[in-house]
Amino acid sequence: MSNEITMPKLSDTMEEGKILRWLKHPGDEIHHGDAIAEVETDKADMVLEAFDDGVLDELRLKEGESAPVGAVIATMRAPGEAAEKRVKPAAQAPAAAPAKPPEAPSAPAKAARPRVVEKAPAPAAKAAREAEKPPAEATKAAKIERKPEEAEAEGPPAFHPAMGLHPSAAPTALAAPPRRPLKIVEAPEVEPEGHKLRASPLARRAAEEAGVPLEHVRGTGPDGRITKRDIDNYLREQQMFKFRRLVHPHEGEPGSREELSKMRKTIAQRMALSKREIPHFYVTVEVDMDEAVRFKKSLEATELFEEDITYNDMIVKATALALGRFPRMNASFENDGIVIHPHVNVGVAVAIEDGLLLPVIRECERLTLPEIAAVSHRLVSKAGHGGGGFTTDELSGATFTISNMGMVGVEHFAAVIVPPQAAILAVSSIKERPVVRNGQLAVGKTMMTTVSCDHRIIDGIVAGRFLQELKRFLENPASLLV
Amino acid sequence: MANSRYDLAVIGSGPGGYVAAIRASQLKMKVAVVERDRPGGVCLNWGCIPSKALLNSAEAMETIRSAAKEHGIETGEVRVDFPRVIQRSRDAADKLQRGVRYLFKKNKIDLYEASGTVAGPNTIALEQAEGKPAPSASQIEAERILVASGSGERLLPGMKIGDGVMTSREALVHDRLPESIAIIGAGAIGLEFGYFYQAFGTKVTIIELEKQMLPGFDAEVAEELRRQFVKRGVKVMLGHGYKTMARNGDRWSVALDSADGEKTVEAENVLVAVGRGPLSKNLGLEGLGVEIERGGFIKVDDSFRTACDSVYAIGDVIRPPLLAHKASAEGVAAVEIMAGVREPGFDLASIAGCIYCEPEVACVGLTEAEARSRGIEVKVGKFPFRGNGKAVAINEAEGFVKFVVSEKYGEVVGCQIIGHHATDLISEVVLGRTLEATTAEFGRSVHPHPTMSEAIMEAALAAEGEAIHI
Repeated sequence: MSNEITMPKLSDTMEEGKILRWLKHPGDEIHHGDAIAEVETDKADMVLEAFDDGVLDELRLKEGESAPVGAVIATMRAPGEAAEKRVKPAAQAPAAAPAKPPEAPSAPAKAARPRVVEKAPAPAAKAAREAEKPPAEATKAAKIERKPEEAEAEGPPAFHPAMGLHPSAAPTALAAPPRRPLKIVEAPEVEPEGHKLRASPLARRAAEEAGVPLEHVRGTGPDGRITKRDIDNYLREQQMFKFRRLVHPHEGEPGSREELSKMRKTIAQRMALSKREIPHFYVTVEVDMDEAVRFKKSLEATELFEEDITYNDMIVKATALALGRFPRMNASFENDGIVIHPHVNVGVAVAIEDGLLLPVIRECERLTLPEIAAVSHRLVSKAGHGGGGFTTDELSGATFTISNMGMVGVEHFAAVIVPPQAAILAVSSIKERPVVRNGQLAVGKTMMTTVSCDHRIIDGIVAGRFLQELKRFLENPASLLV
Repeated sequence: MANSRYDLAVIGSGPGGYVAAIRASQLKMKVAVVERDRPGGVCLNWGCIPSKALLNSAEAMETIRSAAKEHGIETGEVRVDFPRVIQRSRDAADKLQRGVRYLFKKNKIDLYEASGTVAGPNTIALEQAEGKPAPSASQIEAERILVASGSGERLLPGMKIGDGVMTSREALVHDRLPESIAIIGAGAIGLEFGYFYQAFGTKVTIIELEKQMLPGFDAEVAEELRRQFVKRGVKVMLGHGYKTMARNGDRWSVALDSADGEKTVEAENVLVAVGRGPLSKNLGLEGLGVEIERGGFIKVDDSFRTACDSVYAIGDVIRPPLLAHKASAEGVAAVEIMAGVREPGFDLASIAGCIYCEPEVACVGLTEAEARSRGIEVKVGKFPFRGNGKAVAINEAEGFVKFVVSEKYGEVVGCQIIGHHATDLISEVVLGRTLEATTAEFGRSVHPHPTMSEAIMEAALAAEGEAIHI
C-alpha cells in the first residue's frame, strides 16, 4: 500500500516549491510530525512535515528541483515491521541540519579545516591566537590564514603535501557524515591537539539546533569554554546585526541590475496590491512609556521568568487586550463582506537579510505576557538564522500585524497593511521627549504608535479609540499581567 | 602585628570568612580575621559539623536497633550514655576548630579574637569579646573589609530561650536525653534534630505552619519524607501555627492554631527551629551608608561590594540560601573578584540544598513546579531506589531521584534526591550542571555497579523514557 506525499501549499501565495534538501531517505521510518524535507517557497525556506506514520519509499524530486503545489514529490508505505524503536524518531533533525542548500560553501570549508590546521606549525598558530585577545577574532584571523592552503591540501595529515593528489582514503571519510542517534551530541570531528573547541554539551546541542558555527562563538566559561549563554548571546547579536542590515540599503553595485529574489517578488506583489486596493488611513497617538519602562525593569529584577520580557512582548499583549475590545480591528475584507476573526493572531514583522518574515503568535487573547514572550523569542530566534525551520503554522494566519522599528531609532512611521488584514500597527522608538504633566514641562519617555487601517472596514473614530485603549494599557502596565 | 595595614580584613571566621581569608592569602594579600567566638563560626562549632556527629550517632543507634531484626545479629540490651554522645560531637567541633587555627597560621593570616565593628571605610574597631582576653590592638586598618558575620537563630515573637526551651545551639550541648520534645519548624534544623531524638527513643512532635515539610522543596520529596518520619514514629503536625507556650509542671505546653481549631502539645523540651536571620546589626555598617535590605540582608552588587566602596560582604548576611558551602563559594568569588582574577557575578542556581536526616534530602536547581511556573517546558525523570540493586542489598530502598530537564535539550533544570546518602549523590548533578551536561551525558556515563549512583543515571534516562530498571 503506497501513500503519496504531495507538494503542500505552505503559504497563501505559494504556487510551486523547490526541494532544498531531503531530510529523510528511502527506507527511513517516518512518524507523524517528522521533518521530511526543506522546501523553498516564495516566502521562506520551510520544513515539510509528515502527516502519517510509515516508511519512505521513493523520492520523485531531486534536491534543487521544483514542483507545483499538489504534485507528487515522494511516496511512502505503511509501517512494516517497525519494531526496533530504540532510536527515537528524529524530532530535532530539521533544525540540526543547516538551513542551506548542500552546495553551500561552508560545508567543505569546515571539513577541510582539521587537515589544514595540522599543516600550520602549531606554535605559530598558538602565538597568533594569543596575540589577538578576543577568541572570536582570533579564530577568524586563523581561518583567513588557512584559506589559501585548502586548495592544495587534500590528503590526511600524515601525508606530505606533495602526495595530496593521491586518491587516498581521507575523502571517503568526509563524504557521508556518520548517522548517529540524535539525542546524543557528538563532539565534532576530532581536531588536532590545541585546536579543540571547548564547548559544553548543552552549548553544542543548542548550537547545532540553531545552526551556529561554534568557531564563531566567543566562550566566556573557564579558559574560553563555550557555554549555552554564549550561544544565546551570539544569536542575539546576530539578530541585532540583521536589524542593522535592514537600515542600510541592500548593498548592490551602483548602476547594476538585480533579479528579484522570490521573497522580494512576493513583497513587491503583496504591497503593491495592498496600496492599490486598500484605502489606507493613518492615526497616530503618542504613548507615555515611563511606567512601562519601570514595569519592565521591575520584572527583570524579580528574575521570575526564564526569558526577558521585551517592549515588543508588552506591545503585543497590550494590542491583544485592545483588539479584544475592538474586534473590527481584527478583521478581514473578504468577498464584499467583513469577517471578524475569532482569535487574535498577531503577526510580528521581522527583518531578515533582504526581506521580511511575519511569524505569528497565535491566540494572543489566551496567552499571558510571559507566554507571549516565550513564543515570540522562539519565533524571532528562528528568523535569526535565515527563516529556515519555520513551520507553515508559524508563518500564516495572522489577523493583525505589528511592525516595530523601535530598535533602529525611528521617530515615527506608518506601515502598509498586509492583505487581507484590516490594520497594521507601526511602533517607533521610545525616546526622551518634552511632555506636559500637570501644566509643567518635564522630560518623559514616549513612543509614537501609528495604526494604518482599511477604511472599507474601519472608520477613523474606531481606530482612534483603539489606539487610546492601547495607550491606556501601556501606560498602566499592571494590566498586562492579566 | 598591630598598627600594620592589611590588604583585607575579614569580620567572621565561619565557612565564608575563613575560606575567603585563605583564598586571599593565596592571592598574595595580607589578611586579618576578626572573630568574637570560635574560629570556624557557627558551621564548625554550632551547626553543620557537631550536628552531623550527632546524626552519625543516631544512625549507629538505628543500625544496632535494627540489627537483630534485619541482620540476625543478637545485641543484648542496648544502653545509651547520652552525655558521651554529646561530648563526641563537641570533640569533632574542637578538632576542626583547631584545624582552622592551623590553616590561619599556615597561610600567615592574623586572627584577632575580639568583637569587631566597622569604624570607617578602612578601619575595624576591636573590643574585648565575652570570655576572651583583651585584644592586642584597639583597631586594625585594611584596604578592604569583608563582612562575613553570618546568621543567628531566629525566634517568633514572645519566645524565650531557657528552662527547657532551646534553639539548635542549646540543643547541641544539652546532655540530658528528653523523654519528649516538641520541635517548632520542619525545615532542615527541625528535621535533623527530629530524626536524632527519635533515634534515641524520645517522643518527637514536629510542628509546621506550612502544609508540607521543607516548605519550598519539591512537594513529592516532602511527602516522601513525611511518610518516612511518620513510619519511624514521629508525630508530624503540618498546617499548625505556633501561638504561645507555657510551663506546665515539669513540661511545656505549646498552643497551636490550625484549620480545625486550637490544639496543645505537651513536651519536656521545646526546640525552636523557625529559621535563621542575617547578623547585620551592631557592625557599624549603617554609619558608612551600607544599605541593609528587608529582612536584614546587606545589599551588595555583582562584585559583593556594598554601597561603601571598600566594604564587601558575603554569605548568610547578604542573601539566602543560608548554607555554608554557598558562603565559602561566595567568599572565594569575592576575593578573586577583588584580585581581578575573576569576572563579577555568581551563579546561585547551582547551589545544592541538603538535609541530613534519614532519609537524606538533596536538591539543586528548580523543582518541577518552579520550572513550569516560569514557563520553562520541562519533562521529568524519576527513578526509585527500590529499582537500584545496591539500595535493596543494603536495605536502604526508600526514596527516589527526580530529574527535571528541559524539553528541548535535556538540560538539567533541577534535580531532587531523597534517600540514603542523597547529599553525597547530588554532587554529580551539580558538576553536571556546571559543565552543562545534558541527560545524554548522564545517561551515557557508565556508573559502577552496584552503587546508589546508578539511580542518577537511570533517572536521567527516565526523563527520556529510556530507564532500564523500571
